[in-house]
Amino acid sequence: MAKKVKSVWVEEYRPKSIREMALPTAKVSGHKVDLAEDLTKFVKNFFKEMKKINAENRIIRVHNRTASEKERKEEVKIAPENAAVLLEGPPGIGKTSIVFALANDLNMEVIETNASDTRTRDALENKLRETVKSRGIMDFVTQSKEKLILIDEVDGIYGTKDRGAVPTILDLIQNTQFPIIMCSNEYKQSLQPLYNKVRKFEVYPLSDEEVIKIAHNILKKESITTLKRSDLDLIIKKNNGDLRGVINDIQGIAQGSTEVDNKDLIFTLHRDTTEEIFALIRDLFQNVSTLREARDLTDKSDVDYNFLYKWVNENLISFIKINKEIANAYDNLSLADEVFGRIRRNQYWALLPYFYDLFAGGTSLAQSRKTSGFRRVVFPRYVVGGAFSLTNAERSLIEKINKTYDISQIEAIQDFIPFLKILCSTSRRQLKNVSDWLDLDAKEKKLLK
Amino acid sequence: MNNEIPIWRIKYIPKTLDEVCGREKIKERLKNIIKQGNFPHLLFVGSEGIGKATLASLFSKEFLGIFYDANFKLIYANVPLTEEERQLARSEAYVSKSKIGSIAGRRITTPAFIKVKVKPFVQLKVLGDTPFKILIVKNFETLGSNQQGFRRLMEIYGSNCRMILITTKISGVIDPIVSRCQLFLISQVDLNSFKELMNKIAENESLEIEDGSIEILYKVSNGKISRAIDLLQLSSISGKKITKNMLYEVAQKFQNDLVGSLLLMTLRGDFPKARELSRNIISNYKYNPHELFNLLLNELNKLPLSKFARIQLINLIADADFRALDGIDNDIQISALLSKICLFSEHLS
Repeated sequence: MAKKVKSVWVEEYRPKSIREMALPTAKVSGHKVDLAEDLTKFVKNFFKEMKKINAENRIIRVHNRTASEKERKEEVKIAPENAAVLLEGPPGIGKTSIVFALANDLNMEVIETNASDTRTRDALENKLRETVKSRGIMDFVTQSKEKLILIDEVDGIYGTKDRGAVPTILDLIQNTQFPIIMCSNEYKQSLQPLYNKVRKFEVYPLSDEEVIKIAHNILKKESITTLKRSDLDLIIKKNNGDLRGVINDIQGIAQGSTEVDNKDLIFTLHRDTTEEIFALIRDLFQNVSTLREARDLTDKSDVDYNFLYKWVNENLISFIKINKEIANAYDNLSLADEVFGRIRRNQYWALLPYFYDLFAGGTSLAQSRKTSGFRRVVFPRYVVGGAFSLTNAERSLIEKINKTYDISQIEAIQDFIPFLKILCSTSRRQLKNVSDWLDLDAKEKKLLK
Repeated sequence: MNNEIPIWRIKYIPKTLDEVCGREKIKERLKNIIKQGNFPHLLFVGSEGIGKATLASLFSKEFLGIFYDANFKLIYANVPLTEEERQLARSEAYVSKSKIGSIAGRRITTPAFIKVKVKPFVQLKVLGDTPFKILIVKNFETLGSNQQGFRRLMEIYGSNCRMILITTKISGVIDPIVSRCQLFLISQVDLNSFKELMNKIAENESLEIEDGSIEILYKVSNGKISRAIDLLQLSSISGKKITKNMLYEVAQKFQNDLVGSLLLMTLRGDFPKARELSRNIISNYKYNPHELFNLLLNELNKLPLSKFARIQLINLIADADFRALDGIDNDIQISALLSKICLFSEHLS
């Protein structure tokens, strides 16, 4: 029998000190850094700066009290890069843990907000504003701990210029009395104002060896011997650097009966979203027969709908073969895309129900007869273009052309380079002539073939 | 010669205003302006690729003389800003200090394009001994609503910097801009001057041109001189004698008829293949959906269809273009149009 467990292991084994945890590698604008050292330095530096600024402000305030309107000075504010940092990396690699361990090391209290429940500007403001701006009266009396503010899952915040929370966060950073650490999973365009202001640590997943070490440690402490080495390897491989996922899986297996084949369990426990999407797409096109079912399917899945409708677009034609039905499905899908565009641009979230029904029900129910049997589901292909974007090779080729021939990037791509391609395809000598003249390297030459 | 330019269209690019092929009247007008040493803002209108920008830049070169490098700039309105440029524009936005009125507490931003590309140049003082600087804006109509930002700029900085706006569609330029400019309608090159130029190139490259093939070249290249020179170069590769057949053959290879075959493929009703081809086109030529739909529309006009079928197809394209305006995923919008044309083709036969 497996040992009975009281709490979630992920919480139980959250590292207490930053020195004892396995630190993931981190980079700041491409250069490797020591995360523990840099963050400690950042927090210490913050309080040093803050002390200086508060002293300055005190003088200014005294001055302002007596000065006339014109002579008043503005209070000094802390520079944003000293007030906040951003940790960016895939889920489950220890971003939040680092912050808690750091706070523990420095004897600080963490005030945490995760954006998944406080998504709007008001909620964020209510929760943080007062903490950030002022120190409580009692703080001076009781000599309570310093605070560290953690804004988790920043990328879950809906941000547009006017209504979103990004300006609020920027405002918080400007007026904070405590250091702020933010965590985010991926690059988001709407967070660009934040990236401009604060230092961004890119955090990379732990190596498999590190994960194995930690897993062994936990297994030893829980005295579990039933987990085979090969199964552990499988779990680690499937989680792909996600330490939290590994620990959760181990716990799941340890809590379950050991009589069952562990392999099956691993697969069922596993939260692989791609697998889930594959199954979901097949379900959507092969099993759904009413609108309600389609809606249930999309509601229940925790796949980002942002993604999901691109999957529908990519895989629609492997399920629907009749032109009339394809056209119907695409009519709905393109309308869904239009609706979604309006939602995103103008924040008309009230339109979201139409979007769901159109892209899921609208495509699935366009078929008169369901296909049966196995159909291949593929990843949505990323199609370059639309927003005019050049590859590096294309860009350097155009730069070289521009030395002798003044032509815009668009003209070059649509008019001049196609001509060069035809010219170079006629004979090898032509290709050599052109590449000698422009002094091309191998990659650029390839563009002309 | 070893360091000879292997591309003829660059080799034979005109170096002075006189060398520009044809268009005598316009050249005369421009030369008069140079003599007088003063001109208002200019608006050059003419179809695609006939040499408006070449005329404008050569004109500025001769007008500014030795101070050309410091006082001249050519910007392309349709090339999107890079990420750095956009950041630069954003960092200069500020929050209004005003407490009343509609701008109270608002973020004030000027269009990024104007902020980054235009303003720094027009605000800088003239360097050297010329009356003003010259700014050329190519493809002006693609600026859309950003054109509004030019209105005041042209007045405030007009004495410091004159602009030459170049556009293919005058209907795309807003009225206040048109009224601030002197209009230059630039026509296609006439056949006689075209012949002269081609004969000159042939002589230089020691080619032999068959009678009547220059007329064909003129027709095929559609008034675009650079395209005509390209065609000449391509057909010269196989031999020094240029014949009509050869020109036709080369022109076929050259013409970008991928969009045409895309339309034919969809009209045959093969959706998966058509989608594959459309993705290829998009990734090679970087068209945005609007451009692709426009090209499809052009191809549509070449096909022998009944007027009912034609208007139905135009209806479909217009609808798709309209949706793509608001949509996010270009691929979906393009696929949607293709699937609808595929369906339509079934009724056709």
